[in-house]
Amino acid sequence: MATQQNCALPSGFQLDHYRVERQLSLGGFSIVYLAYDQDGTPVAIKEYLPNSLALRAEGEVTPHVTEAHQGAFRYGMKCFFEEGRALAKLVHPNVVRVLNFFRANGTVYMVMQFERGRTLHDYVQKNKGNIRERFIRGVFTRMLNGLREVHAHKLLHLDIKPSNIYLRADGTPVLLDFGAARQTLMSDTPILKPMYTPGFASPEQFTNRDALGPWSDIYSVGASMYACLAGTSPQRSDERLKHDTVVPATKAWAGQYSPHFLATIDWCLQLDPLKRPQSCFALQKVLAQRHREAPPQQKSWLEGLGTRLRTMIGRS
Amino acid sequence: MRFTIFQESRVGKRRTNQDRVAYSYTRDALLMLLADGMGGHLYGEVAAQISVQFIAQSFQQEAKPKVTDPVLFLSRVLSNAHHAILDYAFDKHLSDIPRTTIVACLIQDGIAHWAHAGDSRLYLIRKGRLLTQTRDHSRVQLMLDQGLLDAESAAVHPGRNRIFSCLGGSHPPQIEFSRGFPLGNGDVVAMCSDGVWGPLDADTLVKGLADGKVMESVPRVMNVAEELGGAQCDNMSLIAMTWHDDHQGDIPDTVSTRTMPFDAVTTQMEGFGRGKRDQEDLSEDEIERAIREINAAIHKFK
Repeated sequence: MATQQNCALPSGFQLDHYRVERQLSLGGFSIVYLAYDQDGTPVAIKEYLPNSLALRAEGEVTPHVTEAHQGAFRYGMKCFFEEGRALAKLVHPNVVRVLNFFRANGTVYMVMQFERGRTLHDYVQKNKGNIRERFIRGVFTRMLNGLREVHAHKLLHLDIKPSNIYLRADGTPVLLDFGAARQTLMSDTPILKPMYTPGFASPEQFTNRDALGPWSDIYSVGASMYACLAGTSPQRSDERLKHDTVVPATKAWAGQYSPHFLATIDWCLQLDPLKRPQSCFALQKVLAQRHREAPPQQKSWLEGLGTRLRTMIGRS
Repeated sequence: MRFTIFQESRVGKRRTNQDRVAYSYTRDALLMLLADGMGGHLYGEVAAQISVQFIAQSFQQEAKPKVTDPVLFLSRVLSNAHHAILDYAFDKHLSDIPRTTIVACLIQDGIAHWAHAGDSRLYLIRKGRLLTQTRDHSRVQLMLDQGLLDAESAAVHPGRNRIFSCLGGSHPPQIEFSRGFPLGNGDVVAMCSDGVWGPLDADTLVKGLADGKVMESVPRVMNVAEELGGAQCDNMSLIAMTWHDDHQGDIPDTVSTRTMPFDAVTTQMEGFGRGKRDQEDLSEDEIERAIREINAAIHKFK
């Protein structure tokens, strides 16, 4: 069941009033297409098509859902709607914009603004080991603006990772893929397990979903920043709980980046949710500071961190 | 009032169940409903659901504990249900208006009145024999009446599912009303969709339900119909009610409304949201509503 692959709609396919150009990505839960609307404006269309439940064979349009999977298929659709609902309410330059939502071919589609650019993941892969602190601080400070908006709507993203952070041509980031922003909805449907990327997910996402909060997204932000330096994600947090092999950023890249910045990454990657920054704002404030100073500054920063932490905990 | 009632709806071999059945009763009145959404049309299921829900609600509001005039009541609620479907189609800019058959039977003062549109049927069975039944609003029935077809060829006629009256759709329904039939002890009123009467001959259906033990006979008759329906089996719904004299001794499983409060209503609806098969399942209606909400949110913030 796990290996079945869904066929994408062919190029030129007329989907509602959009014309499919090509497939952009294929996930376990959906396929994303590049398409053009009637005015020739490019859009990204996400098609709800869970691999494990619906199968579209070569040359077919309507995916086949077996009787036994009908219930789960519809249930997953509910989650897809949650994503739509979540995004529809969010209007923010750093969050992908939903333009339309429709039903066709026995499934549902979400039309999103198409952004030209590339993912942070691609950027990191191309510029491995050569990514400047200023760039990372800039991207993440802005991306956190979007994430703040998400949190302000009482939503969690829960799948922040470099491949879900899109960089427009002008360098501004856009937060993509709210497929995991379905909170606790999925917890007891085994066939549609919540999807996240192991290396970027917080430990509470694996074990204790009741403890999820903004701090869970913050962990993923930290892991994403870590990946910008390392080129790969840190060790999975569930394994970290058993045997932590993650070299703290402050050690691994000492001298290459400012200690303030490295300590911030380590702060986000704390396994104890309470020891991380508790809100996007708290993290943003730190990231927006410019610290080019040498080690002496580090000490005062670390002390500052302690107080900061205490106030954060006290506040939450 | 004292009666025994049982209803069942099955999806058959179809993907969704577009049939809806319901009954509702007060101390002095009983309403039975059956609607068969038209599968070839958009949202047939929605049409059936709107009708049944709408009519049952009207009954609950008006039967205190009886409705003033049974025929007027049936006429008004069926027509209103038709318009409720039109409103729904209008609100949602549907290109095609959903359709459904309907058969509704209201019993009060010991007299049954019914009304129908389409090819869902009502049978009144007395002493093991068919007393009367509704006439389908179908071309095949018209041809039968005109002697152009006999019963045998009608049963296999390719156009036997084509009906000329229904709720919803672009034409106003032609609703047919019965006269009042006083019910006697042991009379059985049965209503069913074409998924049940289609595969069965009238005799099997009537004999199958004649004993009045509806709790056993309804599933039994449906089993036979499902078997005969085979791989193409349509949605099947059957609701049957046996009427009892008030002064009869206790019969197991009967409903006696004598002790019901003046203003109480009991309603039994099935087939909504596919409830039994999967509690978490989304109904067509919920999907439409979700999409509508999302688009509303998108446009609100644009």
